[in-house]
Amino acid sequence: MDKNLSSAGERKVNCAEQQKCFQLLESILDGENIPESDKILKEKLEKCDPCYRYFHLEMAIKELLKTKCCQQITPQDLFENIRKKVQEVK
Amino acid sequence: MSEVQRKKYSDKEKNHIFDQEFMPHIDSMYNFAYRLTFDEDDAKDLVQDTYLKAYRFINSFEQGTNAKAWLFRILKNSFINDYRKKSKQPAKVDYQEVETYYNSDDVDYSGTTDLRVDAVKDMLGDEISNALNSLAVDFRTVIILCDLEGFTYEEMAKILDIPIGTVRSRLHRARNLLKEKLRSYAQNMGYNTDEEE
Ligand SMILES: [Zn+2]
Repeated sequence: MDKNLSSAGERKVNCAEQQKCFQLLESILDGENIPESDKILKEKLEKCDPCYRYFHLEMAIKELLKTKCCQQITPQDLFENIRKKVQEVK
Repeated sequence: MSEVQRKKYSDKEKNHIFDQEFMPHIDSMYNFAYRLTFDEDDAKDLVQDTYLKAYRFINSFEQGTNAKAWLFRILKNSFINDYRKKSKQPAKVDYQEVETYYNSDDVDYSGTTDLRVDAVKDMLGDEISNALNSLAVDFRTVIILCDLEGFTYEEMAKILDIPIGTVRSRLHRARNLLKEKLRSYAQNMGYNTDEEE
């Protein structure tokens, strides 16, 4: 492997296969079953700056959506109303 | 429902499935409905209709399969068929956005947004909610399904009746649009988005 790049901690400024890489990173973030995803991820993030940035930005946005997006409170009567209606059609 | 009827459940089985597999998803269902309609009453009606349909067509639900995805699909279809037209707040569709994106097969993977991770981390709940709500309904939907509800691409394809490839590209487009919104919030917050660290 290219020892210069990883040992120096420097990442490529340009990604040779940006579209393919970004699609892959997005799938990994979304929890899709990607074979050897840990290995791929480690390699991309260590060696490629656009991939590194893309991944961390997407992860931050996903986290933001998951943790801060305002949840609506389910109206209390909804549950009972549904039960009642279902009893009627039974 | 177009599914083949697999078997007939007894009344007891029906009630069991309804209570144990359908009802626990009521909060997610209401949230989804609210984010589609932006109206409390419409959201309630939509969820209620969905559950009634689910009960009526319960024989086409295969026990042990993903009830949440099955329910979301019914809700999405009910929304398209019954609510989209009469919605009080006709989803703030940005037609320019929709046209630009739907009329091209190319998905933009250039990805050189200057939005910064720090800025994203400082966003408030209102800001991310507003950004999400401002997206056209089809884009909003894929983000809700994937990022808020955690459905897989395959489940999303079934819920939305579109191929997995379309799920991916729609999701990617939706995220690009969301990033643009967040970028303008970041600018208002005083983050200098143009400068490199
Ligand atoms: Zn790369």
